Amino acid sequence: MKFSQTSRGIGFFLVFVFALTTALASWALDVPPLTARVVDLAHVLPAEIAASLTRDLEAHETKTSNQVAVLILPSLEGEPLEEFSHRVATTWKLGQKGTDNGVLLLIALRERKVRIEVGYGLEGTLTDLRAAHIIRQEIVPRFRSGDLPGGIAAGVQGILGTIEGVHIGAETPPVGVHRGDEPSGFEYVIIGVIVGFMAGLLLSHGLQSTRALLGSVLAFLVAQFGSALLGVIAAGVTALLLWLIIQANRSQGRGGGWGEGFMAGPGSGFGGSFGDSGGGGGLSGGGGDFGGGGASGGW
Amino acid sequence: MSSRMSAFTTVATTILFVGLSGCGYNDLQGLDEDIKAAWSEVVNQYQRRADLIPNLVATVKGYAAHEKDTLEGVVQARAQATGIQVTPETLKDPAAFEKFQQAQAGLSSALGRLIAIAENYPNLKADQNFRDLQSQLEGTENRIAVARKRYIEKVAEYNKSVRFFPTNLTAKYILHMEEKPNFTVADEKAVATPPEVKF
Repeated sequence: MKFSQTSRGIGFFLVFVFALTTALASWALDVPPLTARVVDLAHVLPAEIAASLTRDLEAHETKTSNQVAVLILPSLEGEPLEEFSHRVATTWKLGQKGTDNGVLLLIALRERKVRIEVGYGLEGTLTDLRAAHIIRQEIVPRFRSGDLPGGIAAGVQGILGTIEGVHIGAETPPVGVHRGDEPSGFEYVIIGVIVGFMAGLLLSHGLQSTRALLGSVLAFLVAQFGSALLGVIAAGVTALLLWLIIQANRSQGRGGGWGEGFMAGPGSGFGGSFGDSGGGGGLSGGGGDFGGGGASGGW
Repeated sequence: MSSRMSAFTTVATTILFVGLSGCGYNDLQGLDEDIKAAWSEVVNQYQRRADLIPNLVATVKGYAAHEKDTLEGVVQARAQATGIQVTPETLKDPAAFEKFQQAQAGLSSALGRLIAIAENYPNLKADQNFRDLQSQLEGTENRIAVARKRYIEKVAEYNKSVRFFPTNLTAKYILHMEEKPNFTVADEKAVATPPEVKF
């Protein structure tokens, strides 16, 4: 009797622990989606101030390619400020790939904490010290007197004023155009096509169709180091080139049948996924990275 | 006949390519380089912290010269941490890695004590120079945390490749790569121990 009671007690305890741990796991704060340059989840910004901030950030971005975003949270729900801020910044990928010129201004209301997270590329201009000064001199005094919108606006102006004139967007693509991986992927395709094409040509005694097929298979294998899609593109291009060469070399003109059939697949795949990567809608970061630079403060 | 030969060559080349991508040779080499880069970042940030310390110590001295033990503790810990040579060999040798880690952890806790005594000196806390140094130190500590996190992730990925089949064969017989030591929680504990507060 006593035993069964204890075991029931243990059972309840285990259920309780299980429920607690699953609850704890689900409490971990998720990174909110990047829906706008100013993400106000705590609803403290009047619409017109949010709009004017967004306009400023957008204008700054077109001029300098620096991506600055603001996130206002009702609470961090127990997450450490620095860790969460870094997670948001790297998930949103603020700043351009390569120049890493993104900045995140994060405000957590319940914890009364504020952080400026600075991307690698801006650490030299918006130093930890400068970020700390913006927090201490521009943001915190206004927050203390209860003026949240004013503090946020002043903080944003402080950040923009500091990073103005860095990375003037001549060599970097404008935002939203999302050209992150293409250059290196493009190289894979080129190398794949060259390798496949050369192999196809050099196998001079093979069956015509076998040569083209194996050439494109080789192109695929090389370019798939980039990604499967790039492999398909490289294979398609190689097949097309080899097919054209073989057609030109041949007087019979036979084999068009397989050429067309083969091309239909890769051709349509190319068009379809290109559309996918271009579209997407909404705002997207440029692929910038963050190394933990910046400063934190409280009010 | 010769057409069959060339077909054979093509198939052989194809198999070679597939084999290369499957055995993880490139992946292992790539990860090894990634780890080196991640490690440089870790060392870089630790160095940056060490560079901030002389100024910090001088500033604290100006307000709290009689906190000799704490001040000397920081200076000594810094000397110890910067005295350890960091070479690529360090990454391979668990004992040397451990030594580096401990020296840096020692400096972390000495710095923690220094910042804690500042709480007792309102004039020091209000000093602009001290506040600036503190902000820079905080920023650097945070960068260290990020650099360490990235290093830990890279080494974990690398160690997995070194142990998993079939990449473990490539690692062992072709590249002669071994598992690399990583930052441990024991070290974290030393860092996280709150400094003593004396009244």
